[in-house]
Amino acid sequence: MMEGSISNRIRVLRFLNGEMSQAELGQRIGVTRQTIAAIEAGKYSPSLEAAFRIAQVFHVPLAEVFQWDAKATQGSR
Amino acid sequence: MPYREKTAWLSLIAMAVTFGPYFAITASSNPEALPNLRQLGLFAVAAITQMLILGVGHLYLGRRSPQDARTPPDERDRAIMHRSIRSAYYLLIVGMILVGCVMPFHSSGWAIINAALFMIVAAELVHYSVVVFSYRRQA
Repeated sequence: MMEGSISNRIRVLRFLNGEMSQAELGQRIGVTRQTIAAIEAGKYSPSLEAAFRIAQVFHVPLAEVFQWDAKATQGSR
Repeated sequence: MPYREKTAWLSLIAMAVTFGPYFAITASSNPEALPNLRQLGLFAVAAITQMLILGVGHLYLGRRSPQDARTPPDERDRAIMHRSIRSAYYLLIVGMILVGCVMPFHSSGWAIINAALFMIVAAELVHYSVVVFSYRRQA
């Protein structure tokens, strides 16, 4: 299995959208401010639906919000 | 601190201050005979006190942050709830197997009742501890 981690650019996108607050983003996608903070910190991976909603709020494709950073595992080529 | 973490702390505290003394007194008095009105009274005091603490606590927390109290759980809240219930379920099942299938061979009366109560309280403690831990580490 390929190992890796999910990173995101939510903090940057919030800044580029008029320093949108975590609470406002949360309200617009239907989650709490704490959930946005957890997603931003990479502690919680949102559902696919929530991920698409976040991308929609910022008017960008999903891949501009979330990135999959694959790591080469031992034995893989 | 999220509203749901506060309510989990409230439940943990309510359980500790009511069923902690209940099991401490029970362990020292060793009530075997049935019926045992003193033991029944002790249980009633613990259960009613717990309900009062929870009722007053929820009222207080709800008045301090009415918006948070009204907000329905989001997907992360639900994920945390599922994880905590799953952890508590395994403990409860093991406990109930021991109490229901093993204990009747060598114990009876209040020993079985209190063991069952203990496993329920322990499962609830695990449930709320996992909730608190999950919110603490933002998981």
